[in-house]
Amino acid sequence: MTASLEQPLTEQLVARVAGLEDELAPLREEILATLVTLGQIPAPGGGEEARGRYLLDRLTEQGVTAGYDDFGNAVGFVPGKNPDKTILAVAHLDTIVPDNVDHDLTITADRVTGPGVSDNALGAAVVAMLPACLERLDVKLEHNLQLLGSVRSLNRGNHGGIRDFLDHAPRPFDYGVSVEGVHLGRLNFFSIGTIRGDIHCHVRPIESRSYGAESAIAVLNYIINRILRIEVPTRPFTKIRLAQVFAGISYDDEPENAMLGFEVNSHSDQMIERVERQIADIVAEITARHAVSADLDVFFRRQAGGLPFAHPLVKATLAVMETVGVEPDQGHSPSDLSEFIARGIPAVTLGVSRGNKNRREPDYVEIDPILKGVAQVVGTLLAIDSGAAEEVTEP
Amino acid sequence: MTRDQWLAERTFHHSAFWDLKHLVEAKERQGLKISLCLPTLNEAATIGKVIVVLKSALKDRYPLVDEIAVIDSGSTDGTREIAAKFGADVYLAEEHLTECGDKKGKGENLWKALYLLDGDVICYVDTDIKNIHPRFVYGLVAPLINDPNVHYVKAFYDRPLAMSHGIRPSGGGRVTEILIRPLFSLFYPDLSAIVQPLSGEYAGRREVLEKIPYPVGYGVETAMLIDIYDKYGLGAFAQTDLDTRVHRNQETIALGRMAFGILRTLFNRLGKEERFQLAEQLPTIMRQHRVDDGSFELIEYNIEEFERQPMIEVDSYREKFGR
Repeated sequence: MTASLEQPLTEQLVARVAGLEDELAPLREEILATLVTLGQIPAPGGGEEARGRYLLDRLTEQGVTAGYDDFGNAVGFVPGKNPDKTILAVAHLDTIVPDNVDHDLTITADRVTGPGVSDNALGAAVVAMLPACLERLDVKLEHNLQLLGSVRSLNRGNHGGIRDFLDHAPRPFDYGVSVEGVHLGRLNFFSIGTIRGDIHCHVRPIESRSYGAESAIAVLNYIINRILRIEVPTRPFTKIRLAQVFAGISYDDEPENAMLGFEVNSHSDQMIERVERQIADIVAEITARHAVSADLDVFFRRQAGGLPFAHPLVKATLAVMETVGVEPDQGHSPSDLSEFIARGIPAVTLGVSRGNKNRREPDYVEIDPILKGVAQVVGTLLAIDSGAAEEVTEP
Repeated sequence: MTRDQWLAERTFHHSAFWDLKHLVEAKERQGLKISLCLPTLNEAATIGKVIVVLKSALKDRYPLVDEIAVIDSGSTDGTREIAAKFGADVYLAEEHLTECGDKKGKGENLWKALYLLDGDVICYVDTDIKNIHPRFVYGLVAPLINDPNVHYVKAFYDRPLAMSHGIRPSGGGRVTEILIRPLFSLFYPDLSAIVQPLSGEYAGRREVLEKIPYPVGYGVETAMLIDIYDKYGLGAFAQTDLDTRVHRNQETIALGRMAFGILRTLFNRLGKEERFQLAEQLPTIMRQHRVDDGSFELIEYNIEEFERQPMIEVDSYREKFGR
């Protein structure tokens, strides 16, 4: 019963993983109940405490030692039988949904619908349920399993929770599994370089308008036009995305403030640096020419990098997905994965179900694929625990 | 037991019963069987969540509840299919106890639950609750498990109404405050100690519930309180604070029809108790105005408030339960 070059999992493990979805089926209602209860607790970035409390309560109920860390992350720890290595399973707790929005989640025959359910109540619910899943399977892992509901992940949070946790962790981590609500099949093991920033334009006080101050919208428009003229190569892939604009109050009130939110992605960190310098130059020049205060604030940085396709963790995860019956969709990740990558920890991001997030129609996740998604996450833990994700060093 | 004594000794907060493991052990020691009845009519938007949350906590993880049943009045929105998918036993009310005929209304479903479900304790929970939580069940059955002198437990809570833009912090209970509390204060002062007499969540012992009649419509909650009070006194009751209950807001005009049904139920009882003499039988027609394009129209609603006999008087029930 050994693994082959083509099949990194042992026959025994393949058989076990193949049966996981059925074995975990009795937990379906508990998973859904955890999802709706957790998802109905508002958790905007910086306001995740109550959702974290629920996650901790669920972990404690399952016999897991759990508590907040100094940053406010919800942390649980399941000691392994042979605790030389530790797997960190993480889902971010925060959502982009403000806490004054009604967080009512509904369950219909085929989907769970409600604000933030896909990003990332479902991911957090799965992390909350991992001890129950392992108990149901009567599995005690060889490796330690660290469970983390990370806070302040999205937007300006800039992965603050997981960064702080990894920087101050009580033990080194050997593997990471980041769990996201959608989409089932998502397999991320590399991250492209990314910066996110805001450009704020503020026209100077009224006295200075005599020498040419304009509407903040017009000035922002000059900046946008100049950014659009920045040349970016197709190789290495590089893209500037103008994502948000806020300006103006009323038809009869010339705006004094305008804001542009942008993101730059590239497979090359050097290209990111070059584009950032160019944007900074544009902002500085327009500031001088148009008598405005314009600031560039780059609040999010992620380095390009990740695992090679041939890494045993990637191969093992792909084998698990194939065994469970999940079609892999490989791509780069904007998730917590980048923090693992930055610290040289082999990690993957997995999605749990099909669904929709952050669009005009309500967020939802489909119910039927969830068990398959959970089986895939648990199967990946079992594969890592079996040694299938271990890098073999040449003698 | 005086009202003040009762309020002090029989008013609980659900947090007193958080230890479900302990509660399950106490239930099992007594050999009690507990049934959860969810009466429905077109509740597709909420029934899935209600079942998933309650079943997961109270049947799968902590077996406090032995059966969860949806008793449906003929939903056309998929309520029964959703309920079945998530593991509830589903009954269409009109298909059972057919020898008694078919009446439509929540009270009919609650009454038939006595026949269809096996529990020594029946817990009734409305299914329009948006913030459903296991406390809506364990908060009600716990006093029955813990005290053999308690026979019926009523829920009370804050009732913020779900509005189109967010949640209004307080409100609700309009019929209670404008109709029921004044009437109870006049005719059943002891029952005015009950904070929310119309709450849709309550639990009772079978041996009590089977002996009282059930109005099939709006009056079922009021009738239960009056009839149990008449038979067993205030000491049979307890009430539990379940904190916040978020639910759909009902239009005032719909509450008017509810008030009509409740009034009929109450007058029926006052008449039977010979505390009130009416020169003629009360009509069953409730009239409400509708304004359409500047003209007024009077709409008539027939609110009969038919009452089901005590279940103990039904032959097939006595046969099934060996009564």
